[in-house]
This record gives sequence, C-alpha cells and structure tokens, in this order.
Amino acid sequence: MLSKFDYYKPVSLEKATEYLNENSETKILAGGTDLLISLQKNKERCKHILDIKAIPELNRFTYTEGRGYFIGAAITVNQISEEKLLREKYPAISQGADALGSYQVRNRATMVGNICNASPGADLAAPLLVYDAKVHIASSEGIRATDLCDFFTGVKKTILKPKDLVIGISIPDVERGDRSVYLRKSRIKGADLCNVAIALRINPENKLSIALGAVSTIPMRLFELERKIAERELTPELGDWLAAEIKTYINPRRDSIRSSPEYRYLITGVLAKRGLLKLIDKEGA
Amino acid sequence: MCDHEVKTNCFEYIDSQMPPVPLELNVNGESIYELIDPAMTLLDFLRVSLKLFGTKEGCREGECGACTVIMNGRAVPSCLILAIEAQGADIITVEGLSKNGELSILQQEFIKEDGLQCGFCTPGMLMSAKALLDRNPNPTVDEVKEAIAGNLCRCTGYKSIINAILSAAKREREALSNG
Repeated sequence: MLSKFDYYKPVSLEKATEYLNENSETKILAGGTDLLISLQKNKERCKHILDIKAIPELNRFTYTEGRGYFIGAAITVNQISEEKLLREKYPAISQGADALGSYQVRNRATMVGNICNASPGADLAAPLLVYDAKVHIASSEGIRATDLCDFFTGVKKTILKPKDLVIGISIPDVERGDRSVYLRKSRIKGADLCNVAIALRINPENKLSIALGAVSTIPMRLFELERKIAERELTPELGDWLAAEIKTYINPRRDSIRSSPEYRYLITGVLAKRGLLKLIDKEGA
Repeated sequence: MCDHEVKTNCFEYIDSQMPPVPLELNVNGESIYELIDPAMTLLDFLRVSLKLFGTKEGCREGECGACTVIMNGRAVPSCLILAIEAQGADIITVEGLSKNGELSILQQEFIKEDGLQCGFCTPGMLMSAKALLDRNPNPTVDEVKEAIAGNLCRCTGYKSIINAILSAAKREREALSNG
C-alpha cells in the first residue's frame, strides 16, 4: 500500500463533517470491503481515513410504523440479513443482502457502502430502488435527502461531493400484501458477483415496480416500462411480453469478463419473467 | 494484481512511516498493547507484529477467506480491516483454538475426515466453521456451505471439509449434553 494516511474516528456527526470540510484527500471508511482493496492495490490514494462507525446516528437501524426503516451507514449487510421484520416486509432487500459477497464480507460490508461504491451490479441497489429508498446526506451545510433513483451517475460514480457523508438510507413503510423478490444470475453458486440482477415488487394496488443491476452503467429503476405494464393486466401471460420488452431497456457492456451482452439480454428476460410469475403466485398468500 | 502503473508489490507490508498510534486489543485471550502503523491491516498486525503465522494471506481482496479470523464473535476477512479498527476488539485466530495443547473438537474432526491436504485454507476454514458453530450449533449442510462459501480450497475438495464441520457439530452437541 502506497497511501500514507492517518486515522480519525469521531463520535459525533458534526466532528465528522467538520473533518471532511477541513481535510481534502479524505476517504470515508465504513466496512472497508471496497476501500481497503483499492487502497492496497494502489488504485486509490488518500491522506486521511475517516472511520464513521462510532457516530451514533450512523448506527441507527429502526422501524417506525407508517414511516418505515432507517438504516444507518454503519449497519452491516449481515445485520440487515438477520433483521426478521425487514425480511417479512421487504423480502427483496433481505434477499439482496443474503446474496452480497461471502458471509465474512457481509459481516463488515455496509448497505450504504454498497450503494456509495456505486458498482452497476451492487446487490442492494435494485431492491432499494423498487422501494423508493431515499439517501440521507450530511455535509457542513446541513442534511439533505435525495431519491436513490437520482443518486447514481455512472460506473462507480454518484452525486456525492467530496465533503458529503451519507448518514443512512430510509425506506418508506409498506402495506400488507406488498410483495417483492430479488433474483440474480452469477457464474457460480456461493460468493460471486452477478451477471444480471433484478428486483420486482407488487404493491397492494397491484402496481409492479422493477429495477435492474449489472446490465447498464448504473443500477436503474425502469419507470417507463412500469408505466407500460400499468396499462396491462398482471397475469402469468404477461411474463413472455415482459421478457421481450425488458431487453429494450438495458445496455450491457461488450467487454465484460463475466458474460457477453447476448447472454445478459437473454437472462434479463428470463429473470424478469421468473420474478413476475413468483410474485403473481404469492398473491393472497 | 497490482495497478499496472505502480509496480510496488502490493502484498509486502511496508511501514507507511506515519506517526504510530496506540492499539489495545485482546488476541486469543491475551491483552495486547502496541504502537502501530495506522496503515497496517489486521492481517499484517497478526503476522508481522504478533508473529501469529497461522492466519494466512491469500488474495488480499476478501475473496479467498484464508485470512479469516473471529472478531467480536464474527468471522471477518482480516485483510480488509485496518489493525486500528480492531481497537478494543476480541480476536480469535487459529492459534486460539487448541486448549492446553489439545486440539479443539473441530480441529480433530478436520484431521479425522481428511478435511485438509496442503492446509493453506485450513485456518480460515476453521475460523469460519467455529463462528458458524458458535452461532448455530446444529447447522444443515446448506448452512455449512453458506458459512464457508467465502473460503476457497484448491486441493482438498469441500466435501470432506463439510463432513468435518458437521461431525464436529454433532460431537460438540454431545459433549454439551453430557455436561
């Protein structure tokens, strides 16, 4: 590792944003499962490390009736996996958490880190997108919130500025009868990055939401496709139409080492249909 | 693999020369206080400073699981943790498994079931398995597979390792019920 850095672990949000304001070339450390790889491979350099795990607000993991979940930036992926109520209410999010990395990595990696790293195939992105998650961002100027669907701007790029610190993600509450599923295709079972990831959700009013990962430069919510689906009836027969239609919304890259674009086009359709059928099956269950 | 433009060996620990910071933690039941390099990983701290060579260095990117240790009860990749992040933590490495010179039940079962050949993945496998049995004394085959999915083995084959973990779980449960 060529970076020479000092280490600061503040216990208040004010101290953290102040530090970010005063020290350029600071990297924010939560789980470290992405940051420490790029630092050790010298892909990234920094002069300061700001460990955010001791800030109380960032350790918040709460559910409020009518308002939903707040998941702080220090909450690990396994903490999310282990949360029973979240699994009941937001199955796609728990399934995304189960799929991320390996068990050891999930003990360190955080949900917010997964989002901030902004990999197109981030396992938690698509599930959060279908639940209209909001990202809460702190800086010395105050706290603001932005919709997750406006958060990603490119491969590993987000709207975050160098002095921003994400404090957590909020997910609106869901009503009884809301159901969702997260499906992914990877080369091997066990720990592997995905070739295609899809999250589908049907709310009690029978509105379908769809988000995709690993098939474009950013994880994306397919609002336009959702509008087209809203004009149709949610029946098993819709599956074939969806499998064909969804391919026009993706743009997989040609030089991927994991799979060819042709394969990704095919699998996206397969997973979309499979997901829809699974959700229709669960109706009334 | 290093960045092509920077040919420095990523795998070799080089002191960053930054002012040392105090680290206090517990490793295998022993309290340790040392001044350390803030840019040192927990893996380097265990191997370079404490000379605990049981914990192995494989990929240094959290893929292979060879560096797995137990930190505050959870299996973690020590290559992706700064040593200073382990401030106040309880760490168990493979050296902490045997008691008074006697191998743990889990280690004995690895030997009995031929759960190792070259042995490089074994410390990581053992730590992932111990963390699993500590939280779930009666795991299913699938739960065992999930727990060690992040531990790569290139020679033994996973079957004997899974058998070793399952029979250790059984023996540990029996030992517990026999008081």
